[in-house]
Amino acid sequence: MFKYIIRRILQLIPVIIGISIVVFMIVHLAPGDPILMMLGEDATPEDYARLQRIYGFDRPVHEQYLRWAGNALQGDLGVSIRQGAPVSYLIVSRLPATIELAFISVLLGVILGIPLGVIAAIKRETPIDFFSMVVALLGVSMPGFWIALVLLTYIALHVGWIPMFGRGGSVFYGLWQLITTFDGTELYDGLRYIMLPAVSIGTAMMAIITRLTRSSLLEVMGKDYIRTARAKGLGERVVVFKHGLRNALLPVVTIVGIQFGAMLGGAVITETVFAWPGAGRLIVNAIQQRDFPIVQGGVLMMALIFTIVNLLVDLSYAILNPRIRYD
Amino acid sequence: MSKRIGTLVLALAMVFGFGTMAGAAPDDTIVIGSGAEAVGLDPRLETDVPSFERINVIMEPLVTFDVDMQLVERLATDWEFSDDGMTLTFWLREGVVFHDGEPFTAEDVKYTFEWVLDEENAAPNRALYADIGEIEIENDYLIHFHLDNPNSFLLNNMARMPVVPAHHGDREDFRENPVGTGPYAFVDWTRDDVMNLEAFNEYWGGEPIHPYVQFRAIPEGSTRLLAFEAGEIDMYQGGVVPQELPRLEDDPNIAVERTPGTGYNYLGFNTQSGPLAEKEVRQALSRVINREGIVERVLNGIGEPGLNPIPPDLPWFTDEVHDLSYDIDAAREMLEDAGVFGEDITLRLYTNENPERIRIAEILQFEAARVGIDIEVTIEEWGAYLSRIQDTDDYDIFILGWVGQLDPDRAMYRQFHTDGPNNYTFFSNEELDELLELGRTLDPESEESMETYKKAQQIVVENAPYGFINYSEEVLLYHPNIEGITVHPYGANSWQDVHLINKN
Repeated sequence: MFKYIIRRILQLIPVIIGISIVVFMIVHLAPGDPILMMLGEDATPEDYARLQRIYGFDRPVHEQYLRWAGNALQGDLGVSIRQGAPVSYLIVSRLPATIELAFISVLLGVILGIPLGVIAAIKRETPIDFFSMVVALLGVSMPGFWIALVLLTYIALHVGWIPMFGRGGSVFYGLWQLITTFDGTELYDGLRYIMLPAVSIGTAMMAIITRLTRSSLLEVMGKDYIRTARAKGLGERVVVFKHGLRNALLPVVTIVGIQFGAMLGGAVITETVFAWPGAGRLIVNAIQQRDFPIVQGGVLMMALIFTIVNLLVDLSYAILNPRIRYD
Repeated sequence: MSKRIGTLVLALAMVFGFGTMAGAAPDDTIVIGSGAEAVGLDPRLETDVPSFERINVIMEPLVTFDVDMQLVERLATDWEFSDDGMTLTFWLREGVVFHDGEPFTAEDVKYTFEWVLDEENAAPNRALYADIGEIEIENDYLIHFHLDNPNSFLLNNMARMPVVPAHHGDREDFRENPVGTGPYAFVDWTRDDVMNLEAFNEYWGGEPIHPYVQFRAIPEGSTRLLAFEAGEIDMYQGGVVPQELPRLEDDPNIAVERTPGTGYNYLGFNTQSGPLAEKEVRQALSRVINREGIVERVLNGIGEPGLNPIPPDLPWFTDEVHDLSYDIDAAREMLEDAGVFGEDITLRLYTNENPERIRIAEILQFEAARVGIDIEVTIEEWGAYLSRIQDTDDYDIFILGWVGQLDPDRAMYRQFHTDGPNNYTFFSNEELDELLELGRTLDPESEESMETYKKAQQIVVENAPYGFINYSEEVLLYHPNIEGITVHPYGANSWQDVHLINKN
């Protein structure tokens, strides 16, 4: 197991180098120019040439890459062109908001999606199954931003304590405070703000998980070992949850992991609609402004997190299915 | 088990049911919505309106534009050009202190402009101040700017540069933690969410009425409007969803104020290559722009039909220009006279992803087809689009807009002078060049200045390097419990008098 983890981490190195080169090339070779974006429509050739020199964009691309990569190796991702602040600081200050939103959305999806999927599978071809599948179909069909706008118009506008936009306190920290000091105000504030964004992302999540759990569980329930379990005289509950669901969850865990990873960089639209100060918005704004250091550093960090989440997902297989071993 | 769930439900019900009602903006805070987050808060480095919306509350320039677009005193109490126009003198306000208690003096003014002029510093708009040669301090409250070239409109540019305190300006985090002389002092800032300011009680203009001001960045137009309607923000200017405006104007619980803005949208024609090198073709194309229809249908009545490069509220504006208003028959005749009607003319039009510009492009495509001109529309992402316009000549037509056209020099020299830095149409006219150079040396309030720019406008309109589409309009939304706010024609200056606003 330990060896496997080390091997996987070593495999990360060429992946990260590859990603850094690709990102660097894409931002530098694509049309658009950070200095022009900064100067806007008022650009004069003198100011343009002067700023190019100051920011080092007049040097050959490979030279720029090597300098950037060398600094990145030492943990220095450079300084944002537009904001003037260190990139690592900008990204790290945004990550808690993004991780929290991703986590709560996934949690919502899991605690609603898995039971719904299980019920649908057990009560196959009954009205309950039909109802669950309609809910799931609606969930996957409605785009997140649309759900967001519906929630804003029909709920937030009429319910005074649900805010329209922004982020209140931190939910994680609030939970900690509630546990340690019995003070729930921070948690309440965090939940109020995160509710609608989490629901609008979590809905699709829930729908995907419901469908996947149902089909996967149906497949497993047809397996020989389930028949054996039943033949042994085990109760239906034990058969479904211990023998069926545990095996059926493998593909679900994979999808949840990938979705969670993708959400760290990909919940941009929802982040924009709810003015949620997350990392996705930071990077997308940076792409629009051609703020190269943020784009490069941001994508690199996202890639790193994504691969780590994937590794964790792979490791969790061993827990769910003891037959899977990593040596 | 069920007992435990019951307890949980009860606890949650208590948390949600009896929690404070914190939806509306608090009474002691003025909450201002903004369509974008500030890039930074250092006036020497920023170029965008959202940044200056905030900077202009924290810091102040020597002179500024009031709501009537007149230059009024701020940190300077008086100013004067020497007779030869080569020296600009400012008398500074005495007894002004920065938020840290240090006095404001001529040193700070000198520091600010010398920093901008220093080529080693990354000030993007250095060119606006490039005519300044030497800055001479006579005493703490009297300062002379000696110019290398005459520039009558330098004051207007200086109105966009708030004074940076010399003892803070070199601080590395100044951009995130600025100090100024403005009515509100910077407190803290969570990027892409909220920026908090508090009243500066030693403000020279009197203690601000409200103790706190908050800026909220809400990029999504519909969310911003909903947040405003729910009372979470008190007011915002700019970026009102056009389709919602009629409903908002009928709503007694919402105050809507509108004023002509300082910018315009236009079609730029590549005057050097292809069919548009012919003046007549450009004029004909200008006549197929259905300006009234665009303002009415695309912009929902926000703005008015465009005529020339100068916004109608500026004293230099003239409507005595060549008639290029919407007229399909006239356009067809012009093309026939030029001998190109019936020929296969295909023009490539570029625009960015702005939905209004895309609709304008589609309308133009339809109208141009009626006179036999085929227009191919290409939509590009803003960064790529800007590079195309500024770095290449690979286009026939493009759609762009100008904002902040506060004087005729800014509205014409850069765009239409042969050597103008923003002459993307490659337009060149010797007489116009002379007029624009002359204009810079004249007293802006003189009759001669008016005449010069009137002639210049006539040349521009007649030669049609641009097809003017519409003048912009500024829209301010606020709740009627707010007093003392007026819409400002120049968005960046919207909140400069926020200390006088009263919220009941």
